[in-house]
Amino acid sequence: MALRIDNLTKVYGKTTALSEVSFEIPDGNFAVVLGESGAGKSTLLRILNGLTEPTSGRVYLDGEEITNSRSDVGMVFQQHNLVEELSAYSNALTGTLNRTGFIRSLINRQPIEDRELALEALETVGLLDESGQKVSSMSGGQQQRVGIARALVQQPDLLLADEPVASLDPSSAETVMEYLRETADTRNLTTLASLHQVNIAREFGEQFIGLKRGNVIFNGHREELTAEVLDEIYGEIETDELREETESTALDDSIQRSDTSIGTEV
Amino acid sequence: MSADSDSLVDRLLSRVVDSGHGESAIERQHAELKRAKLLQRLSQLALLGVIAMLFVGSLVMVGFWREEWIQYWPEFVDALTQYFPPKVYFDLIPFVDLGRYYQFMTEAGLVGEAGITLAIALAGTIMGAPLALLFGILGNERVTPFPVNFIFRGVMSIIRSIPSLVWALIYVPLGGISPVTATLAIGTDTIGELGRLLTDELEEIDDGPIEGISSTGADKSQVIAFGMITQIVRPFIAWAMFILENNVRSAVGLGIIGAGGLGVTLSIEQQTFQFTNMMATILFIVLLVLSVEMISQRTRSYLREGDDEERLSLCQLIVGFPERMSDSLLK
Repeated sequence: MALRIDNLTKVYGKTTALSEVSFEIPDGNFAVVLGESGAGKSTLLRILNGLTEPTSGRVYLDGEEITNSRSDVGMVFQQHNLVEELSAYSNALTGTLNRTGFIRSLINRQPIEDRELALEALETVGLLDESGQKVSSMSGGQQQRVGIARALVQQPDLLLADEPVASLDPSSAETVMEYLRETADTRNLTTLASLHQVNIAREFGEQFIGLKRGNVIFNGHREELTAEVLDEIYGEIETDELREETESTALDDSIQRSDTSIGTEV
Repeated sequence: MSADSDSLVDRLLSRVVDSGHGESAIERQHAELKRAKLLQRLSQLALLGVIAMLFVGSLVMVGFWREEWIQYWPEFVDALTQYFPPKVYFDLIPFVDLGRYYQFMTEAGLVGEAGITLAIALAGTIMGAPLALLFGILGNERVTPFPVNFIFRGVMSIIRSIPSLVWALIYVPLGGISPVTATLAIGTDTIGELGRLLTDELEEIDDGPIEGISSTGADKSQVIAFGMITQIVRPFIAWAMFILENNVRSAVGLGIIGAGGLGVTLSIEQQTFQFTNMMATILFIVLLVLSVEMISQRTRSYLREGDDEERLSLCQLIVGFPERMSDSLLK
């Protein structure tokens, strides 16, 4: 379903996190929000999911203003936000909580369709065989795929992903993004993801929205996302920080490698 | 008084530190440091003095200084030989007569009595634990809005401030002097103790799962059940085991006022001056409490994730000790 955001504003005390943000995402499009930390990406997504109340502005899904947004909007978080003590299957099933009564959900008596839906979603993210496994014993990439499955089980009209791969290693990040994009495409699900890795955004996004200090400063397609536009979105300081970040990750990698070599010696 | 002590300090200071004029910065600094050190010493001395005064005062209040010490001493020595009846094994090795302990343990059926003590502790813990969970959750600010949650916390505090022995006295009209009363008392005590620990545990839970479950459109009770309670299941079991340990000790104590189990045997033998039998009962209590402690500790360390050292079996611990010792020395 097409998403239309109309003059969305969020003010925290004296800081304006979002200032009259307006844009549209056509039905089934995979859109990416770009912006430095503090640009308002998370605030935007959290408002769309109803986790945060906007100060003013409206959100329309398929022309209708959304009110009960949490049930209709699936969300994937940077820290996965899964229930670690439960299995992948049980976590996927929590996507049905909005349509299951309290007692029924507590004693695990969801209708058979919902159970099938959960397994189907886990199959979609390639985790059918691991569905009985406890989430805490899974890798970060697998956990994030369970997160996607949970959002899918909600049968949402809109899928949100707040920095879905920011805490994953590059190859898991790639896998998770592939599943996310593929799922969105096969189900024709309108998706809005916030990403800070420009290369990943460029690889998987169809539509790009650039946020800077709560303002939309760019809205366009991949071809229009030029180096100048990126410079404008991130600013020069931020690109420096990005460079430092990559350097420190490289350092971490080398430390890890030396760790494992000690491990093999012993 | 204070002026006097001030001048005393000054005099002391001037003697220790030549309050040098016109000396270098280093010397001045040195003098300053010495002064600070001296002041620190003096205040430490004052603190020690206060503690000593409190100690002596308390001893006077309990009537610690009395002539009966001399009078009672031989009696105590006599009791000691009854506590630990001596016996010479193989005409060679003098040791405590374990046979007499064993005899009383079988005669008095201490295993059965220990069973009652354990049953009181178990029933009380299992009775109180769900209520502790309920009160702990309702006392959390995220579940119950601010002023209301303090009603539940307050109830737990009040329960905690009353020892289980006193709870037993309160329940006597309901259950008489019996194991039933002891069970109720321990159950009540568990609500306060375990509930408090769970309140603390709930303060530290992760926001992630709560947000994740909320984002699916779940209602508040579902968010509590799936987002919060799932996170405290392990700590809940671990703390319940810890409380069970304490409750076994409490159950022995409650037995002494007549509520059944090993405590009753203990008080009867004490009142009839059967000191050997009394010591046999005490040893049996030690055995019971230690076994419960061991089971509880193993369960808790099993629940604690990623703590491999604790998960080794007793046999592995003993056999593998020299190797691990040398490992840690050579590292």
